[in-house]
Amino acid sequence: MIPALAAGFSGLAQIASALLLLLGLVFWIAGSWPLLGRGSYLTKLHYLGISDTLGSALMLLGLLLRFQREWPLLLLALLSLVVWNTIFGYVLAACSQAARRFPPAP
Amino acid sequence: MSGLLFGMVLAVLLEILVVCRRTDVWHRLAAFASVSTKVGMVMLVVSVVRDDWMVGLVGVIVLSVGNGSVMLLANLLQGVER
Amino acid sequence: MSRLILIALRMLIWLLLTADPDELNVVIGLAVSLALPLPRRVRSLTPAQLWRALAASLAAVPQAYGEAVQLLLHRKLEESVLHDEPVLPSGRPSSVLVFLDVFRITLTPFTIALGLDDGGRSYRVHHLVFEEDRR
Repeated sequence: MIPALAAGFSGLAQIASALLLLLGLVFWIAGSWPLLGRGSYLTKLHYLGISDTLGSALMLLGLLLRFQREWPLLLLALLSLVVWNTIFGYVLAACSQAARRFPPAP
Repeated sequence: MSGLLFGMVLAVLLEILVVCRRTDVWHRLAAFASVSTKVGMVMLVVSVVRDDWMVGLVGVIVLSVGNGSVMLLANLLQGVER
Repeated sequence: MSRLILIALRMLIWLLLTADPDELNVVIGLAVSLALPLPRRVRSLTPAQLWRALAASLAAVPQAYGEAVQLLLHRKLEESVLHDEPVLPSGRPSSVLVFLDVFRITLTPFTIALGLDDGGRSYRVHHLVFEEDRR
């Protein structure tokens, strides 16, 4: 009874992990696609935030379900990924705007 | 799993195409940062597929400190452009 | 009190990094997190402010997923505007609060913070809106 339950649970975890990985991949591709278009720089940064931060976080959650032996490092990767990428988007936006606001002297 | 890896490599190739095409340096910087994150994720997935945690460790390190250098570059570039 | 919260966060990162609940390891981590300098003006921060900012940052994560789905489904409709968002409470903000606010604003896909304005009283925020909302 118990092993069957455990096997069922692990099968459920596998399915959930596959779903999360696929969803993350969809976010990746959908978020990277506007980079090829002609939108403004800041609009592209919005989409890049979706693809990199949110999509990669979903993928890391999927990996966490599948690979529980190394959970501390995966959790650290998740935490640092979300914080770094978000702040990185802010730095890219702020730096490019500052360069545009103070045009170089002729 | 290999289908997933195929899709991930496709997404990275998309970004590399953007880097090759654009001339604006800020677009390039954004695309390069995105490539760095994505390659780190590809490393983690490869490590799970091969069940070899050493590759995954490198991936975790790339994810946690790889963006710092690009951030520094952005600040430098801002100073140069001003 | 808010120093304690920050040091606890540092200890969490150290323990995740080493993945080793050994006694010596914990002592080393505690020494490192006490020795690193604290951000400016963190002493004047009340714990309630810090907790509120932390909770708002955590609550931004599910909201960010909702907005991401919304943005990906309405691909062709958006248009970008700049506006100011007065977020900060009165007084000079601590750098921890500014960090958490910028994190919260930038994490959600519709908005990106662009920096402080007005001598630190409001954020400049870049905001995506749908065209039908503007009409």
